[in-house]
Amino acid sequence: MNRSIYTKLAISNLKNNRKTYIPYVLTAVLTVMMYYMMANLAANSPMDQEALKIILSLSVHVIEIFALIFLFYTNSFLIKRRKREIGVYHILGMGKPQLAKMLVIETVVAGAVSILGGIFFGTALAKLMYALLKRMIHYDDKLAFRMSWEIAGNTVLFFTLIFALTLIYNLLQIRLANPIELLHAGSQGEREPQTKWILTVAGIIFLGIGYYIAITTKEPLKALQLFFVAVICVIIGTYALFTAGSIAFLKLLRKNKNFYYKTKHFISVSGMLYRMKQNAVGLSNICVLSTMVLVIISSTVSLYIGKEDVLRTRYPQEVYITNSVSDDAENQKLHDMAEKICRDNQVEITDEKSWHMAELVKIKNGEEYTSAMIKDYSSSDVVFFDVIGLADYNQLTGERLELGDKEAILFTNGENYGKDTIQIDDENWTIKKELDKAPFGKKSDSNTENVYYMIVSDEKEFMENYLKKYQLEAEDKPVKWRESFNLRGSEEQKLKAVKELKTQAESEFEHTGVQGRYLEKETFFGLYGGVFFIGMYLGSLFLMATVLIIYYKQISEGFDDRERYQIMQKVGMSKREVKSSIRSQILMVFFLPLVMAIIHIAVAFPVITKLLAIFYLKNTKLFFGCTAGTVGIFAVFYVIVFVITAKEYYKIVE
Amino acid sequence: MALLDVKNVKKIYTTRFGGNQVEALHNVSFSVEAGEYVAIMGESGSGKTTLLNILAALDKPTGGKVYLKGNDLGKIREKEMAAFRRQNLGFVFQDFNLLDTLTLKDNIFLPLVLSGKKYTEMESRIMSIAEQLGISKLLNKYPYEVSGGQKQRAAIARALITQPQLILADEPSGALDSRSTDELLGLFNAINDNGQTIVMVTHSVKAASTAKRVLFIKDGEVFHQLYRGNLTSDEMYQKITDTLTVLTTGGEHRE
Repeated sequence: MNRSIYTKLAISNLKNNRKTYIPYVLTAVLTVMMYYMMANLAANSPMDQEALKIILSLSVHVIEIFALIFLFYTNSFLIKRRKREIGVYHILGMGKPQLAKMLVIETVVAGAVSILGGIFFGTALAKLMYALLKRMIHYDDKLAFRMSWEIAGNTVLFFTLIFALTLIYNLLQIRLANPIELLHAGSQGEREPQTKWILTVAGIIFLGIGYYIAITTKEPLKALQLFFVAVICVIIGTYALFTAGSIAFLKLLRKNKNFYYKTKHFISVSGMLYRMKQNAVGLSNICVLSTMVLVIISSTVSLYIGKEDVLRTRYPQEVYITNSVSDDAENQKLHDMAEKICRDNQVEITDEKSWHMAELVKIKNGEEYTSAMIKDYSSSDVVFFDVIGLADYNQLTGERLELGDKEAILFTNGENYGKDTIQIDDENWTIKKELDKAPFGKKSDSNTENVYYMIVSDEKEFMENYLKKYQLEAEDKPVKWRESFNLRGSEEQKLKAVKELKTQAESEFEHTGVQGRYLEKETFFGLYGGVFFIGMYLGSLFLMATVLIIYYKQISEGFDDRERYQIMQKVGMSKREVKSSIRSQILMVFFLPLVMAIIHIAVAFPVITKLLAIFYLKNTKLFFGCTAGTVGIFAVFYVIVFVITAKEYYKIVE
Repeated sequence: MALLDVKNVKKIYTTRFGGNQVEALHNVSFSVEAGEYVAIMGESGSGKTTLLNILAALDKPTGGKVYLKGNDLGKIREKEMAAFRRQNLGFVFQDFNLLDTLTLKDNIFLPLVLSGKKYTEMESRIMSIAEQLGISKLLNKYPYEVSGGQKQRAAIARALITQPQLILADEPSGALDSRSTDELLGLFNAINDNGQTIVMVTHSVKAASTAKRVLFIKDGEVFHQLYRGNLTSDEMYQKITDTLTVLTTGGEHRE
């Protein structure tokens, strides 16, 4: 009999708290579903897509961490709200063991609904997701998508663990509290928040460092190294400023008597002080999550949209054949092979170029480019010298230039070199001319590596001198030969021809490699489509979390404000005044995170542009458009969520 | 002319569904002269609080009129109502109704801030009042840091600082221990001696016995009233008790 009473109580408790429990269970269902689907996708991901596989299994872990933190956070919110109710049960004579029993049943019910619901919907939607993923990565195979019992089992196990943890937390809360405390938990006198100057200053410093890194980092590789430092700094800064900075600021306002004792400011400053103390963590959560959503979605969308662009930047021409040990007979055979294969596949070779080059790697040390070992050089100081003979250059461009001894023509893939001489090791070269355009490569603002194309009178002679000087064998530093061309024909034929060329050339010649847009396209689509998919997936997960936090914040604000609202009215504030004052406060509180997130994005923009450059996306305009679009859509979404939840809020207050 | 004139006030509540009508006030008439200290007594459910809400213009009567200094409360527009209340009425509540987020001082300033007064003026007003109520040293504390009696004194200060025509008190001693109640009632007398008009709703005989006049309400009507005259508090206490006995035993007694 006893058991059924507790079950009944537990179920009616869940029903009575439906305003807070339905969103909780709904989120839990969605989280389980997202996790289950992602785990299945990771298990079923195409075998030959290594990068995609890694990304998918990484995101499974991201969801794991997210689920743990998020469900725990929401639960702690719920149990705080319910302390009074539990206190009443306690006073009515329920002992702590009985309370525990009730809570256990509640958790079992909520957990079972969430997990089973999640797996059910996950199973229903997983195929759709799989189809979507395949579409995004341009991958089609006839392999059937298979759900596995093992993954379902793991999902159940993992989420049971999370729910068990929340239950333990709740039980501890009850164990530690006495009934009076439980009863008054909801209405505990609010202590005046302390001004934490150290935390405020720390917040400003951290945010400053993060912003400084974001704004000043110029080189892509450095950006990659520093980006996560910046992210951590900005997250710490955001939390510190929301918790301590806001209160310090409001207290300063309050100190200014002539400002503070004005009808408008009085209520809002004191109200905000109280709100910020309670909501700072929740608001910083919203801010950080919003920023993540915005960064992830805007960058993955631009990568996906800009993938053609990317290929074009990386491969100015469609096909590159490189023989890293140049040999005239071999080069000719390679050239003939390419022509034959293309002819067989009905594609035409156009814009054909070929040249010889010697490749050296030097490190910039002051004004000098040296081979000597230097301690603590950064990746941006490494320069690749592609030394090309004048004969090849004249042939490619149709010019008739002449160069003397120790004279060179220079072309860089980044910023112009700009000086008249260049010192390589102990040799001083005169730069006769610096080019803005060259047939070998393309100029770009953001490169992952620095390449200096140096045209000298004869590349073989250059190399021989070089080898003699360092007493090296010719095998160590051979002269390379490279041919590049575009193709004309149908997409399918082109791909087929290039694939054939690659297989044949690389198996027949030891030192040969074939690269190009068509070959990379598959990997690119796999990678970028995968990144895009994950971006959307995680983005929507974070968005859901943001929405839920906003909802809970509104509700808890509502309960807290009801009393204050009534008092102010009794003391002589008109309904309208109270309403407008409360409204402006909520607006401030809820749009602060959005505004902050947008500022973060704006500041992060340059550094993310640099990061995207590593993925060869250099279309800043495209990225700007994507960011602006994402921010716009997100803001609209945010406003809609706000308006809907605000209704709930007014219902509570009225 | 009386300061407060209540004429044939009637209040009928209609339940939300089904239209069941409940008559909270049947026909209440009385008037309060400037400088009076009137207690309104009655049991739970007799309509005391309804009456006070109507006097405070928080609620509108179904019939009848309330005049404050000759102004018909029913004719004040909704927009001006809050300002009117702020300027003419001061409130003291059973549960103090202080805002947790403000210091006592700021709580007391609240109505003045709402009226847009200058900070220097507020400062000059609060000193004498805080002195009189014995809370000068507590002004920078928060409500949760002081006792119930001290909270109620802050609430009285908040009511007094606007220099209202009339102070309305709703069970002011309801949440206080006996010592704090004594202090509070002493304060009310002192304030009244300074010329402040007070109307207090209570069902505490002790509280009522300090007033200069006691109105008894039963079933939505003024059933009886007692004037203190030259009686001591104890004699007044006895008289009130007797009247309440008659009231509860249901006699059709009128004086």
